[in-house]
Amino acid sequence: MTEQFSRRDFLKLAGLGAATTAILTGCGPASRYVKREPYQQMPEYNSVGQSTYYATTCRECAAGCGLVVRTYQGRAIKTEGNANHPLNLGKTCARGQATLQGLYNPDRVQAPSTGDWDSAIQIVADTLKNYKPGEVAFLMGMAPDHLFDLVTDLANATGMNAPVRFGALGMFEARATLSKAAENLFGQAGLPWFDLGGAQAVFSFGANFLETWISPLPYTRGFVGLRAKETKIRGTFVQFEARMSATGAKADHWVPVRPGTEGLVALAIGKLVSELRGGAMPRVFSSVNPVEAAEAAGVELEALHHLAEMFVTFNVLAIPGGAALGQSNGLEIAEAVLALNALSDNFGKPGGVYLSALAPNQTEYNRPASAEEMASFVEKMKSGAIKALFVHGVNPVFELPASLGFKEALAGVEQVISFATFTDETAAAAKFVFPDHHGLESWGYQRVATGVSLPVLSGAQPVVSPFYDTRATADVLIAAAKLAGGAFATALPYADEVEFIQTRVSELMSEAAGSFSASDAATFMAYFQQYGGWYKNVEALIAPDGSSVLNGNVNAAEPEYAGEGEFFFVPFVSPTLAEAGANKPWLQELPDPTTTVMWNTWIEMNPETAHELGIANDDVVKVISEVGEVQAYVYLYPAIRPDTIAMPFGQGHTAYGQYAENRGVNPADLIAVRFNEAGDLAFAGMKVKVEKVSSAVSGVGLSRMESRMGVYGEALGEEH
Amino acid sequence: MIRPEEIKMSAEETGKWGMVIDQDICTGCQACVAACAMENNLAFVGEEDSGYGRSMHWIRIERFWEGEYPEVKMTPQQPMLCQQCGHATCEPVCPAFATVHSQAEQLNLQVYNRCVGTRYCANNCPYQVRAFNWRDYKRPEPLPNQLNPDVTVRRMGVMEKCTFCIQRIFKAQDKAKSEGREVMDGEFTTACAQACPANAIVFGRVDQPESLVSQLMHKGHGVKHLEELGTLPNVTYFKGG
Repeated sequence: MTEQFSRRDFLKLAGLGAATTAILTGCGPASRYVKREPYQQMPEYNSVGQSTYYATTCRECAAGCGLVVRTYQGRAIKTEGNANHPLNLGKTCARGQATLQGLYNPDRVQAPSTGDWDSAIQIVADTLKNYKPGEVAFLMGMAPDHLFDLVTDLANATGMNAPVRFGALGMFEARATLSKAAENLFGQAGLPWFDLGGAQAVFSFGANFLETWISPLPYTRGFVGLRAKETKIRGTFVQFEARMSATGAKADHWVPVRPGTEGLVALAIGKLVSELRGGAMPRVFSSVNPVEAAEAAGVELEALHHLAEMFVTFNVLAIPGGAALGQSNGLEIAEAVLALNALSDNFGKPGGVYLSALAPNQTEYNRPASAEEMASFVEKMKSGAIKALFVHGVNPVFELPASLGFKEALAGVEQVISFATFTDETAAAAKFVFPDHHGLESWGYQRVATGVSLPVLSGAQPVVSPFYDTRATADVLIAAAKLAGGAFATALPYADEVEFIQTRVSELMSEAAGSFSASDAATFMAYFQQYGGWYKNVEALIAPDGSSVLNGNVNAAEPEYAGEGEFFFVPFVSPTLAEAGANKPWLQELPDPTTTVMWNTWIEMNPETAHELGIANDDVVKVISEVGEVQAYVYLYPAIRPDTIAMPFGQGHTAYGQYAENRGVNPADLIAVRFNEAGDLAFAGMKVKVEKVSSAVSGVGLSRMESRMGVYGEALGEEH
Repeated sequence: MIRPEEIKMSAEETGKWGMVIDQDICTGCQACVAACAMENNLAFVGEEDSGYGRSMHWIRIERFWEGEYPEVKMTPQQPMLCQQCGHATCEPVCPAFATVHSQAEQLNLQVYNRCVGTRYCANNCPYQVRAFNWRDYKRPEPLPNQLNPDVTVRRMGVMEKCTFCIQRIFKAQDKAKSEGREVMDGEFTTACAQACPANAIVFGRVDQPESLVSQLMHKGHGVKHLEELGTLPNVTYFKGG
C-alpha cells in the first residue's frame, strides 16, 4: 500500500467490509440457514480458539465410511474416522485423510462455465425439455447415492434412460463377475462378503482386499482378526497372484500362478483335499488333473499338495477377486474359487462366505456397470440414440480403456453437461461444466454396500460453507425440472436437495431397532446429521445356499490371451492414488506400499528377466499391446513372475489439475476390449511386447522412498 | 539440559509417552503417513526433491526383501518415526540447543525458531527420521486453508521431525487440568495411531503400568530398534509372525 492511510479511513473500510460479509455470504456449515455474522454476535460454529466437529461421509470412494471433520473458524482442518460409524469404527485410509487436499485444491472448478447459475439452470432445463426422454442419459459414479436416487426418480417419471453408474475400481475388481458367480452358485444375486476375522486360514486368489478392493477398511479389520493370536492360533494367509500386491506382501505364502490359471489351481486344490479326506469325489472337482493344473499355472505340484494339507487342517476361506477375475475365463475362476469354500462348509457361517446386508432403503444389490454394459452405452452414444449426456462423479475418458472409444463417442454427442468438481478429462471434453460442491461441502447419503453386518445408511452434511461458486447438482436438477415444467416438475416436487434427503431419511423413522429414533422428522434429521448416518441393530448378512455347489460343474479351462508378446500384462489399481487421487499432492507423495515410488508410473519387471534383456532400474521401456503403446521407467521388482510385467493405474492424466497432468502414463491405454462371460473387462489376460527405449541417466528416474535410507549420502541404492 | 552424571543407561529407565507398533498387522497402507502430513502441516516437495530423499515424511513405512523369486518375501512393514529416545543422539550435537530434551514430557523437542540448519542432528540420528526444509516448499492457494492452527509452519533451513503430536498431548493435558483430573489412557492419541485401519500403532503412557501401551510393551517379544546404541528408544516393535 503506497498511499497514506488514516485510521479513520481504515475503520470506514473495515466497517463496510464487515457489513458486506454479513449480507453476501449466505450459508454456514451445518445448516443452510445460519448466516455468517460479525464477531460481536458469534455463531455457535465459529468461536475463537475452539474447534467444531461435524460428522459426514467420505466421498473418496463409494464404500461409505463415516468421517468426523475438525473445523476451525470455518475451515476444515483434519478428517478423522467416525468412531460411531459401524463400517469404519473411527478409522480412515490414506485417501480419506487427504480429502482436504481436494477441498482446498487450487485446481477446482470455481464457477459454472456459463458464468452464472441462472443461465446454467436454464441450459439444464432446456436440455431436459428439448430432447426426447429416450435421448437423454445420465452417467454417474458410485457415489453419492442420494443423487442417484433423485435422478432415478426423474428418469422413472419422464421416460429418460435410467442412470448408468460406473467406476474404475469396480472395473478392476471385476464386480459383475463376482456377483454373477455368486448368483450362479447360490441362485441368489448379491455382493459376497468374506469374514476374514473368523477364518483359520485365508486363500486369496488375486483379491487385493488390503488396498482398494470393495471396502478395504473392514477387510483390514478382518485381516487383523485373522492374525490375532491372543486367544487362538494366528491365522494363515496364502495369496495366489502373478505379481505380489501390497496385500500379497502380507501373505505367509505367496504363490505366483500364471495369470488366468487361478481357477485350475483352485479346482486342483479342491481335488487334492477331497482325495486326502477320502470318500466320493465331488463332481465340481472331478474333471481337473492336478498335475496338468500345476504345469499350466507354473507352480510345483508339491506346493499344491502342501496347500491341500493346510486346507484339511484348517478351516479355509477362499476369496476370488481382482486381476484373477479380469480374464477371459474370469467367471469360471470366480466360481471355482467360491466352490472351494464348500469344502470348508462355511457358507453363511462365521469365518465364511455371506452375501452382504442390504442397506436400509435398498431392495436389491446394484452393482456398477460392467465394461460390456459401458461398451453398449458407448454404442448408443455413437449411433445417436443418446443425444444429451449428463456426467457426474465419474471420469470415463480416463477410467475406461481408450480402445472402448468413449472419448470419440463423446465428441459426437450433441449436448454434454458435466457436473465435475475438477476439470478432469471428461469435463474438459464436455460442452458445459456446472460444478458440484466438493464432498465435504455437500449434503447426501450413501448406502453401505458391504463390510458390515448391519444395514447402514451413511449421512453426509456440509462441514464448511462452499468455497467457490459451486452448486449441488441435486439442487440444479430440482431447479431445472421446475423450469422445464410438466412431468419433470412433478417428478421432483422438492424445494431443494435437503428436502429430498429429509423425505428419504424420514422414511426410516418407522423402522424398528434403529440406532436412534425420534418422533418428528426434523429431530430425526438432526440426529442423522449428528451421528453421520443411521443403522439398524439387526444382523442382516445373508447366508447363501451353497448346498448344490459341490455337485455343480465348473470348467476352468485355460484362458484366451489377447495380443502377442512375450509378457503377460497385469495392470493394478494404485493402492494410494486409486482412480481419482492423482490431483492431491500428498497422495502423490505417498510412497507406493510395495515399490516405494512416488509421483510417477513405473513398469514392474522381474530382475532376472530384466538382466537377460539388458534392462536396468530406471531404463525407459515401451510396452506395446495390440491396441496401444506407452513408455515408462522400469522398476526391478523382485516379486513378480519372470513372464509378467505390471503397471499401476492412477496416473497418466491429460487434465485434472497441476498435480495430475502430464505425469506418468495410463495403462488403460493398453487394454484391448475383450470381455469375460459376466461382461467384465479381461484386462489381466493380455500379452504385450516390451522394447527398451533408452538407458537410465544419472539423476533422472523414479523417485523412491527406499532411497531415503541413504539420505545425505549414497543411496543404499539399487538393491533393497 | 541433562548433565552427564544424570544420564542413566539402565534398560529399566522408562520414558513418559511411548508407542507400540505391531508389524504383523501393519499393512503398509500409508494411512498413518497421510494422517501425519495432514495433522502436522507437512510440506510436499514434489517429484524431483523427493527423488533426492528430501521428502518431509515424519513417518515412513520401511520394507525390505528376503530371498529370491519365487521364494521372495517382503519383511513385515515397519513404520519408522522418531523414537523419542530417552538418551537421544541428536541432542548433544546441536550447537543451537534447538533439539533438546523435555524434562516434563520426556520427549525430544525441536525448537524451530532456534534451529539454524546445521543438520548435525539428522546426521547423528541412527533412525534417519529427521526431515530438513531444503526450500520454502510451495502450498498454492487455497491449500493453506487446511493448515492446522496448533502446529507451526516451518520454512527453509529448519529441521523437523515427529513430535508424538505434542499439540494433542498439551490439548489433552489442558483439558484434564481444567477438569481437575489426570489425562486418561486412550483419551487422545497421535494422528498416525488414530488413523491406522489395523490398530497396529498404539500410543500412550509407558510409565503407567495399567495403560494399554504398557501392557502391550511388556508382553515380552517386543524389540526396540538399535537399542544397543544406548538410545533408550520409546517405540517398541512387534516383529510379528
